[in-house]
Amino acid sequence: MKRLVLVLLVSVIMMGLLWSLAGAADLSKDQALNIAFDAGDLKSLDPHRAAATADRAIVDMMFNGLVRYPPGNQVKLEPDIAETWTVSADKKAWTFKLRKGVFFHPSAGSPSGYELTSEDVVFSLKRAASKDTSAYAGDYSGITFEAADPMTVKITIDKPISEPLFLAKFANYAGGFIVSKKAIEAKGEDWFKTNPVGTGPFKFESYEPRQKVVFAASPKYFRGAPVLKKVTARFMPDVSSREFGLQTGELHIIEGLKEDKWIEKVSTFKDVKAPTFGPCESQMLYFNMSIPPFNDLRVRKAFSYALSRDVIANFMGKSLAVPIYSPALAPPALGALSKEEALKAGAVYDNNIEQAKKLLAEAGFPNGFKTEVIISEMSSSYQKPMVAIQALVRKAGIDMQLKVVDHASFHSKIRENASPIVYYASWRPNEDVFLTQFYHSDSVVQKGKKPITNFSHYGMVDANADAKTDSVDQLIEQARWELNAQKQEALWKEAQIKILKDVVSVPIIRLKYTFPQKSYVDLGYPLEWSWQTYSPQITEKTKILAHK
Amino acid sequence: MFQYAMRRAFISIPILLIVLTLVFVVVRVLPGDPAVAALGDQASKEAVDALRARMGLNDPLWLQYLKFLGSLSRGDLGTSIISGFPVATQIASVVPYTLELTFAAVLLGYLFGIPLGVSAAVRRNSFVDYFNRVFSLIGLSVPAFYLGILLILVFSVKLRLLPVVGGGEFWDLEDNLTHVALPALALGMMMTAYVTRMTRSSILDIMREDYVRTAHSKGLSDRKVLYKHVLRNALIPIVALGGLYVVVLIGSSVMVEIVFSRPGLGKLLVGAIKQRDYTTLQSVMVFYAFLVVICNLITELAYGLVDPRIKYN
Repeated sequence: MKRLVLVLLVSVIMMGLLWSLAGAADLSKDQALNIAFDAGDLKSLDPHRAAATADRAIVDMMFNGLVRYPPGNQVKLEPDIAETWTVSADKKAWTFKLRKGVFFHPSAGSPSGYELTSEDVVFSLKRAASKDTSAYAGDYSGITFEAADPMTVKITIDKPISEPLFLAKFANYAGGFIVSKKAIEAKGEDWFKTNPVGTGPFKFESYEPRQKVVFAASPKYFRGAPVLKKVTARFMPDVSSREFGLQTGELHIIEGLKEDKWIEKVSTFKDVKAPTFGPCESQMLYFNMSIPPFNDLRVRKAFSYALSRDVIANFMGKSLAVPIYSPALAPPALGALSKEEALKAGAVYDNNIEQAKKLLAEAGFPNGFKTEVIISEMSSSYQKPMVAIQALVRKAGIDMQLKVVDHASFHSKIRENASPIVYYASWRPNEDVFLTQFYHSDSVVQKGKKPITNFSHYGMVDANADAKTDSVDQLIEQARWELNAQKQEALWKEAQIKILKDVVSVPIIRLKYTFPQKSYVDLGYPLEWSWQTYSPQITEKTKILAHK
Repeated sequence: MFQYAMRRAFISIPILLIVLTLVFVVVRVLPGDPAVAALGDQASKEAVDALRARMGLNDPLWLQYLKFLGSLSRGDLGTSIISGFPVATQIASVVPYTLELTFAAVLLGYLFGIPLGVSAAVRRNSFVDYFNRVFSLIGLSVPAFYLGILLILVFSVKLRLLPVVGGGEFWDLEDNLTHVALPALALGMMMTAYVTRMTRSSILDIMREDYVRTAHSKGLSDRKVLYKHVLRNALIPIVALGGLYVVVLIGSSVMVEIVFSRPGLGKLLVGAIKQRDYTTLQSVMVFYAFLVVICNLITELAYGLVDPRIKYN
């Protein structure tokens, strides 16, 4: 019997050894990953200020939230630093139980790192709620944070909101990232801006301005030590340089162009694959109803009838562009309006030149009209679709001149109410944020109480010539405070149908992302949706496989 | 000579002052809000306003200008209003790469340009001359960044001989040289073409001088006349204009740095413009102006070394 046990034990050990050796043989010896972004530089290493694509991807490697969007399929939420959570009957008090064994990266104050407690979480969330230290302070008004015990955080909200909206504020996105209290208290805010300390799979190692950020694996990461030993994120605004780097193998993953032909070309490179993924920014055309003739519903409808989403999508590339009918976040986002729903509501006006001409004649423009639109230099998200739109509306007699400016100027000009039409590509974390920022009267550029990106002036003008100011403010607010998720979705859709019927904006397409990569890089998860980073996430499971 | 150099340096101060005033104004005339650029389009107006205040952009222009001058006079170039990194550190980290690239290009220019120019001049209207003239025409016409792309395709993508991304470790000689080789070739082609043309025309001019005819009539060999009398005198304009051309090369290095994703002043400058990073942009522009002044001064002083007739009184 003893002998049998011994034989079994030896066999198990041998199999384990062989298995681990086989696993090791599958991996490249050099586990140093190079990823290049289409960016001149990072803007911030501080997660509460990170906003650009490269910045979000970079802070994502270093920080965690209470909950997280799972890598590659970021439609749902799952536990991250918080292990479990409960909510009171009145939906006002949320209690999060923290995971044990979450360690901060080593920093000047704590050379070997230290274990995260509720104090860090409360400190972080208060920091995210302060406009002096965060770009997302507005998301946390009316919310208080309290450390109930070292591993429990209590969050109280004055006015309850639905679970999806509430949890999104504490996910691994924007203000939800948890930073090291001890590091900031020991070294100060200015120091932290260039020396980020988090709990993520990779710790910050160095930064060379306009060149690269280097990360090292954090062996104490609570989901297990990362396979990659080093990650270098490079800033390479020139696409041909990124392409060459991928070809030579100096780069493993690069930010690609959102162009069909380019993807076809890159896919022919040796050991390179170019998968596309969502969720994509919604590309939308907003009519500025404060500037004639777009104050006239007939003109806006005519403009919309002159357009064809399918033609624009084909022009942009069949494998990348998907026509959209939701004037906010596109499906699969919760509460997004589908094509069928928009058609059923009779709120789709497109592909009918005769109708467009007829409406223009009714509006007093039998020969069409001329308008000048300010547009960003960025090709795939702005210029290219607008060139297609320009050609389409010309058939209805609308002479749309495009005034191309650089991207920073574009953002300034459209906020100064300087363009009669704004073509804008955007993504927001949920329908509430999208609808609020683009259609609530408080968000009207220059005139709103909290001006952001309501370029159309919806909520401050009479959109359908019924001598009343038209608005979806009430629907947006009603939905925001609706605790039943199904009812909330219904309210969001109702608001979207009203927006479509008033032709405040015309949803055009969503354009998928592509980050071509070496085929021997295994991200560690299937990449389908990437909500919060717009890019593939580099996680503890990402690895470089053995290759020639 | 020292006194002359000091006098010239002193005269440069008002020039630099004018340049930095112009830079300050131009940077602020640029449309685009650095706070929006930094925070992104989702940021609330409160967040944007708070950041603008922190960046000091709500101060009156004259106060911002005085603060800028005050900081510069203390040798403080400030910190990037976008990333918070000290500008001096940023410049210091990339200047060696830009200077290395520029001087490698100059070196290649003189190394190949002078022999090519000499051979074209002494064999005027021969095949060698025609070849050199076509070569220099191409060298001056083809943009350095385009040539850079061609070099990458051949030496990096096809032959896999040299790297294409970044500048390598500056103090690691092998890594550094392999990274600088292609960018230097791309930029050096322009300089080589320029020096070839300058050398050829300068030698042809000098060869018509009386003292050259005298040297020939004294029975000196062609080689001796060329190297002792012609080339030495021909070098004066080559050195003079070559020095000034260094400034052009520093400017041209911008695109080469971007194509090769190489650290450098050009990449720093373009990034700062895109992000509306006022402090970095101002300081890099001032640094460029400073480099131009220094290059001009060195060129003027170099005249005396190649031409003994020039005295610095």
